[in-house]
Amino acid sequence: MSNTKNLFRPSEYFKPTSVAEAVKLLDEYGEKCRLIAGGTDLLTEKDPQVEVLIDITSLGLDYIRSDSQGARIGATTTFAGIEVSPVLCKSPYNVLAQAAHEMGTPQIRNMATIGGNICSALPSADSAPVLLVLDATLDIAGPNGERSMDIVAFFRGVRENALDRGELLTEIQLPVHPPRTGTAFVKRGRVATADLAIVNVAVRLTLAADNTCQDVRIALGAVAPTPLRAKETEAMLQGEEPQEKLFERVAARASEEIKPISDVRSSAAYRTVLSRILVEQALKEAVAKVFA
Amino acid sequence: MVDVTLNVNGKECEVTVAPYETLCDVLRNKLGFTEVKNSCNSGECGACTVLVEGKLVCSCLMLAMQANGREITTVRGLSTDGKLHPLQIKFIEHGAIQCGYCTPGMLLAAKALLDSNPRPSEEEVRMAISGNICRCTGYQQIVEAIIAAAAADMNK
Repeated sequence: MSNTKNLFRPSEYFKPTSVAEAVKLLDEYGEKCRLIAGGTDLLTEKDPQVEVLIDITSLGLDYIRSDSQGARIGATTTFAGIEVSPVLCKSPYNVLAQAAHEMGTPQIRNMATIGGNICSALPSADSAPVLLVLDATLDIAGPNGERSMDIVAFFRGVRENALDRGELLTEIQLPVHPPRTGTAFVKRGRVATADLAIVNVAVRLTLAADNTCQDVRIALGAVAPTPLRAKETEAMLQGEEPQEKLFERVAARASEEIKPISDVRSSAAYRTVLSRILVEQALKEAVAKVFA
Repeated sequence: MVDVTLNVNGKECEVTVAPYETLCDVLRNKLGFTEVKNSCNSGECGACTVLVEGKLVCSCLMLAMQANGREITTVRGLSTDGKLHPLQIKFIEHGAIQCGYCTPGMLLAAKALLDSNPRPSEEEVRMAISGNICRCTGYQQIVEAIIAAAAADMNK
């Protein structure tokens, strides 16, 4: 019956009630401890070596707020909360609500947190491409105080993030974007729901008054060791008018910027083809949203 | 080992648990709620589904310690005073139960849906049960039963 969980044998469980307390515990126990919020990644890990569990669901980090600078999402906000948030239901933030809806299952969405999704740093994390194209920034608390970083620098490798010992992700910020901004998120898995992505793609673009593309962002997941921005591809669109032929060329370039592998879900070859198709589709969708 | 209190179907249950024990294991093996099934133990099949404060969760992915002090509903909590819930009646009437293993989770997924959306479309019903795998029925009878139960509530 129990497969991975036969190996999961933490002997201590803490539930701090402040970020400062959580940081202190993280710093004290270092590699012996793991954080738990929704638990949907931790409890499905292959060989979870955990002596100490630190439950971070009582730190008051489950919130979604908006202010003049954009939106702020607490790290332990669930995907279910993001799906239905009135703050995130308007363009361009609604692309995050859409991605949240396509992640996992209803049960998983009620438990899994956006902070956990990006800190687990799986290449296929569904929130990652969206946060990359929305230019999200992250607040991190640690033993030396607080720091902020762009999400672009957060993913270091497969299951590797930029957090140092004792550090805790506390908040994700989405900046304000100009009018005439369109977004899209496309995900394909082996089945319609529940599965990790074979490829996921997010796009954000703004059209200037003369209808040329400004501020283009294209991000892909599950096709490299980390979710990534296709920066060379983005540059091809800068200042150009959106056109089908251009999108075809651009999508082909995007499928060259990736480094997919073959795994149980798909082959590298299929991922390459699918990336091209989904980038093209996402670009068209994003433009259509500008004119909607 | 730590003492926790779980409110299961309205009744306070005190139980001693280790940090690594899942809610599913504790409900089944320590508290006797064997209607909570364990199939994949990894949150993919939904057989272990329970409601925590009315929300669908996979009990195999929740630690018992995280459920401390919380209100849990298993399928046993659907019937009141020995009377079946309309969902349960419709599942029986529509042949939505074969081996029965997915049924507790399916019923709770349906309950959570109807609690927030009393008149769902077929698409919405299928989305609501998308975290529950059925090996026997092909889902058709389950979907029909849920839609019939929604219609029946309207007539009350």
